[in-house]
Amino acid sequence: MVIGYECDTRFIPAHHQPALLIDLALSRGIDSHRLLRGTGLFYADIAEGRAKLSPEQFVTLIGNAQRLLDADDSSFLFGQRLLPGHYGEASHTLENACTLHQALERLQCFRALLSPLLTPRLLLDDKQAYLYWLDSCGTGHSRIFLAEACMTAVVAMSRRLSAERLPWRFHFSYAKPRYIEQYWVHLGEELTFDSQLTMMSLPREYLHRPRPDASATAGQVAELASQTQLASLGWQCSFLDRLYEYLQANIRTPLNLERVALAFGMSPATLKRKLQKHDTHFQEQLDLARMHVALYLYQVRGYGNDEVAAYLRFTDTTNFRRSFKRWTGMVPSGLRRLFG
Amino acid sequence: MKSFLRLHTWPLVCLAIAANLGLQLYFATGELKEWAQIDWMDVAGEGGSAVLALVWLVMLLRSRPAGRVTRLLTLGLACIFFAWWMDTLDEFVQMPQQVAWDNWLETAPMPVGLLLLTLGIYHLNQEQRAISQQMSKREKLFREHRLFDKVTPLGAAEYLRQQIQHALAEALENEQPLSLVAVDLDDFDAINRRFGQNEGDAVLQAIAQLLMLNLRRQDLLCRLAGDRFVAVLPNTGEAQARMIADELQQAVASLAHRTGQHGERLVLRASTAAVMALDDDSEQLLRRLNLGLAKAKQQLPRCA
Repeated sequence: MVIGYECDTRFIPAHHQPALLIDLALSRGIDSHRLLRGTGLFYADIAEGRAKLSPEQFVTLIGNAQRLLDADDSSFLFGQRLLPGHYGEASHTLENACTLHQALERLQCFRALLSPLLTPRLLLDDKQAYLYWLDSCGTGHSRIFLAEACMTAVVAMSRRLSAERLPWRFHFSYAKPRYIEQYWVHLGEELTFDSQLTMMSLPREYLHRPRPDASATAGQVAELASQTQLASLGWQCSFLDRLYEYLQANIRTPLNLERVALAFGMSPATLKRKLQKHDTHFQEQLDLARMHVALYLYQVRGYGNDEVAAYLRFTDTTNFRRSFKRWTGMVPSGLRRLFG
Repeated sequence: MKSFLRLHTWPLVCLAIAANLGLQLYFATGELKEWAQIDWMDVAGEGGSAVLALVWLVMLLRSRPAGRVTRLLTLGLACIFFAWWMDTLDEFVQMPQQVAWDNWLETAPMPVGLLLLTLGIYHLNQEQRAISQQMSKREKLFREHRLFDKVTPLGAAEYLRQQIQHALAEALENEQPLSLVAVDLDDFDAINRRFGQNEGDAVLQAIAQLLMLNLRRQDLLCRLAGDRFVAVLPNTGEAQARMIADELQQAVASLAHRTGQHGERLVLRASTAAVMALDDDSEQLLRRLNLGLAKAKQQLPRCA
């Protein structure tokens, strides 16, 4: 059984997202051979629409482009053109979304086609919509570049769909970069760094405004076609994504490598090897899922320490607090407001 | 690389011929030394110098357009290379006692080359002054090429930060006010989207020139990021800075920019903000400027 795509699954058409980066680099006078070095690709194949990239190759391409462009705004310029994009039916589902909410839901649903390297996850409470981003296949050094590009992409798309600047707010799980002015210009002023999540949020009222120029019927047809496309690929999302979903869904049951391997129909050794390939291990993934559940319970549901500890099946609160500190680097009371 | 070769074909061809002629001449008159006779220390010293001279020459030609100054520097370096080249050959070839011209070939080109190089550097100096004059609104007293912006002929954010720090210190010392003005194009990504990255870059270049024309001699213009420009205005109070900001805004609105492909007229609009330095450092000042700009942008009508 194929669980999901992995870092070496070649399925990203090179003339989709990678082409935007290639065009950006070429327009800045960069030699295509140097740009494609190490990716195993040839420009002629890309131009003919035959080449497909694995996430790994795409990350190599991003690394090359970053190095050769040597400009702080590359990720933002790349991001501005990423969505809705020109990725066939999947892009049409976004263009013809009746509300921003629908567009974000479709972005999450067709993430393998629209955002193969970084997984968007939509979360709603009664006032705000949160879109947080997770690594789909181990992006390593390009993590920040991708976060910048994907967030810029959603900002640019939502601005285009709703024909106005929206008051997005941003959290980043890394330190404030030297080139903060790029964030000001391309994203906005509401920025928090050194956060637990890489996430953007927006008041819910902006999500449900109708878009008169969208065609609901065309959107529905495109949605069906995109579903067929995903079915023909054989999976919905990445392997790490599936693991994350499984862990979150079963967070209240005892979880270990053997049980999850059994549920995924593979041997523990295979699961371990697959995780190793993505530069991670089981405990890291489990901690990530538990941290996100804990954050959600604390900040959206307003649970206290005891309730969160009980929910996550910790025997005592002290033990839980120690674990929480290990996941996030701080005790629960030291958390800054992330949601709301 | 190709364009570099095409631009400077003649000097390189002439130098190759001269070096080759020297070689032929030595071989024709002298005799090759025995292996044991060769002083390898001298070969390394003189040969290494010749190689270095050649490296300088190539670096010079790669970095400069053709012209009088380039010609002088090229000739100077070529003479120096030739002198060292003949010196090196001398280590391998034993010349007959009665021949005197070989000594001339080794020593004469060196002073000539040094003279030409000196003359070239003198003119380079003059040229640099002329360029600095032209650069005056984009660069203040301090150059760092790694901080140049890649799209417009302006300094980038890091350079701006350094210059604000200098300006703040200077303003404090002279007890003068210092203001910053930010100019940000409205709906710039629509231009990038409709007309492409290249047209977007062309708009930024045009705006950079336009803003520079509208600033005073002592002002400094930099590109912060994207379509946002910041001008540092020394000895300027808030009211005057606001006035300059309004003028810049009007200048952008009345610019008739036409696209490169079809000459279509683009209507450009800009939002501006002005802040005066109080007790803050450069980072806080920039942050305040950006908040001002965000406020100005909020008042915009819903864009189409």
